[in-house]
Amino acid sequence: MSSLDSITPAEPARQDQAIAVPTGAGSGSLSTEVSFRRARSAAKRQTLRDMGLRVASVITLVSIWWLLSLFFPPSLVPKPWDTFAEVGVIVTSGNFFTEMGATLRRVLVGFGLAMIVSIPLGIFMGTLRSLESFFEPPVILGLTVPGLIWAVLAIMFFGLNETSAYAAVAVTIAPMLAISIWQGTKSIDKDLIDMSKVFHAGAWSKVVDVILPQLISHILAAIRYGLGLAWKVVVVVEMFGFSNGVGYQVVRGFNVFSMKAVLAWTITFLVVMIVIEFGLIGWLERSVTRWRPRVEAWRR
Amino acid sequence: MAYVRVDRAVKFFPREDGSEMLVLDGVSFDAKEHGITCLLGPSGCGKSTLLNAIAGLEKLDQGEIEFRVPGSTLHPTSHIPDLPARSPKLGYVFQDPRLLNWKRVEDNLVFAFKGMKIPRESWQGLLEKYLSLVGLLSFRKQYPLYLSGGMRQRVGLARGLAIEPEILLMDEPFSKLDQLTARQLRQDTVDICARLGQTTMLVTHDVEEAAYMGDRIVIFSSRPAHIVEVVDNPLEATKRDLDDLAFIRFKKRLLQTVLKLVDQEGV
Repeated sequence: MSSLDSITPAEPARQDQAIAVPTGAGSGSLSTEVSFRRARSAAKRQTLRDMGLRVASVITLVSIWWLLSLFFPPSLVPKPWDTFAEVGVIVTSGNFFTEMGATLRRVLVGFGLAMIVSIPLGIFMGTLRSLESFFEPPVILGLTVPGLIWAVLAIMFFGLNETSAYAAVAVTIAPMLAISIWQGTKSIDKDLIDMSKVFHAGAWSKVVDVILPQLISHILAAIRYGLGLAWKVVVVVEMFGFSNGVGYQVVRGFNVFSMKAVLAWTITFLVVMIVIEFGLIGWLERSVTRWRPRVEAWRR
Repeated sequence: MAYVRVDRAVKFFPREDGSEMLVLDGVSFDAKEHGITCLLGPSGCGKSTLLNAIAGLEKLDQGEIEFRVPGSTLHPTSHIPDLPARSPKLGYVFQDPRLLNWKRVEDNLVFAFKGMKIPRESWQGLLEKYLSLVGLLSFRKQYPLYLSGGMRQRVGLARGLAIEPEILLMDEPFSKLDQLTARQLRQDTVDICARLGQTTMLVTHDVEEAAYMGDRIVIFSSRPAHIVEVVDNPLEATKRDLDDLAFIRFKKRLLQTVLKLVDQEGV
């Protein structure tokens, strides 16, 4: 019955996918499997090349740093390997895990709070016009208030404790998350909503099966921006007088004017960020978008 | 035993300048029970609007859509409990597949099962029955974007059928497919509908499609739409052959009615 489909690929853009292979009703899965395998090995080559380019990019950056260090005294631009040695000291002394742990906890708690508030808020703003009008001014205003000011306000209100760190992070990034999800919700496919109405989908199923999957790419982008913003705010909060965290350590380096310490703490920070970005979020993205064929014919 | 009667349906659409445009101008007809009723008319004449009104997606401004659904279930094999007489179980096949691309083929059907409150025990049987009916059983674990356009439309068809609707609504389901795929799917759909015997309404602007698929053809004028003619197909569903003389004669007769309509528009 489906043999006709194979000789008439309806979407030329995807001919290189499984559909271009002749598929009898029964033998379909076999030939699909072969073309999948071919696609997978091509993808592997692509990944290797991308990795190589990323490594080259890092090497270039370190080389530029090294060149700069030739022209400036070590108190201003320390040698890269001296700084890396300092990173080694920080990590092996066990200091790193407690300080980074404290910072990570503040980021994640604040980030989680912001997500819990802004995902439903964004969805409601995208679906209900009245809520959109009501919440638009505070969200836009919230977006324009600098993170530093939120940090000051939170510390004045809650005092120097964990709550103020959580609050500052959450309040700074929540408007950004809400805007991203609000705009995403406005762009969802109305035809699919009609479809779900025709088949009497319940409210829960409409949200979980129809709306949220269409927001995935918006949510992932929001997570990336949100985490980036959260790091920046949390360091500022910690500089204000917390006695632990990466921000506190950077201030300590600043107070003794040790460029090496400041840079070393920044690097540890960057490494953790990269692990989260490429490892955790990359994995999350791959696992929630498995349904999407990775055809990027328009990219070079 | 499940019939649909459209009675003096009137529908206005708001224009951008605030005035109203008459889309359906007192449309009345009966759908053929257990058969396929084709709503044939020029593009943009309001056929799809009427179908959406039947599906409950739009409201009519005047007139009524009457359903009569028996107290007993329609199909002897049905797994679906009885519904009250005023809300028949509707299946819908859209012009584009409208699948949830993030769900596997079988989960797209399950989405409809959940919505229609079909008991979980019968899901497996329904999945196997209707996916093999459209020839896609071996693709049940595949994601829609890995399938061809024709196969995706088949999934949409399977979803419409698998809830075992008393009334199946189809809105130009083959118009976006290439000629060969469309032809194959038309033939398959006629066979499947003849076997299952639900009442089906199919919107089309293709005269040949109407002649081939319709047991009854309701011809719409262009906007504002009224009914020009209701014709019952003299040929039985299984005996229609695109090359057969009797079929060609019937197609010509329909075409003449439609062409006359176009001429009148021109004057």
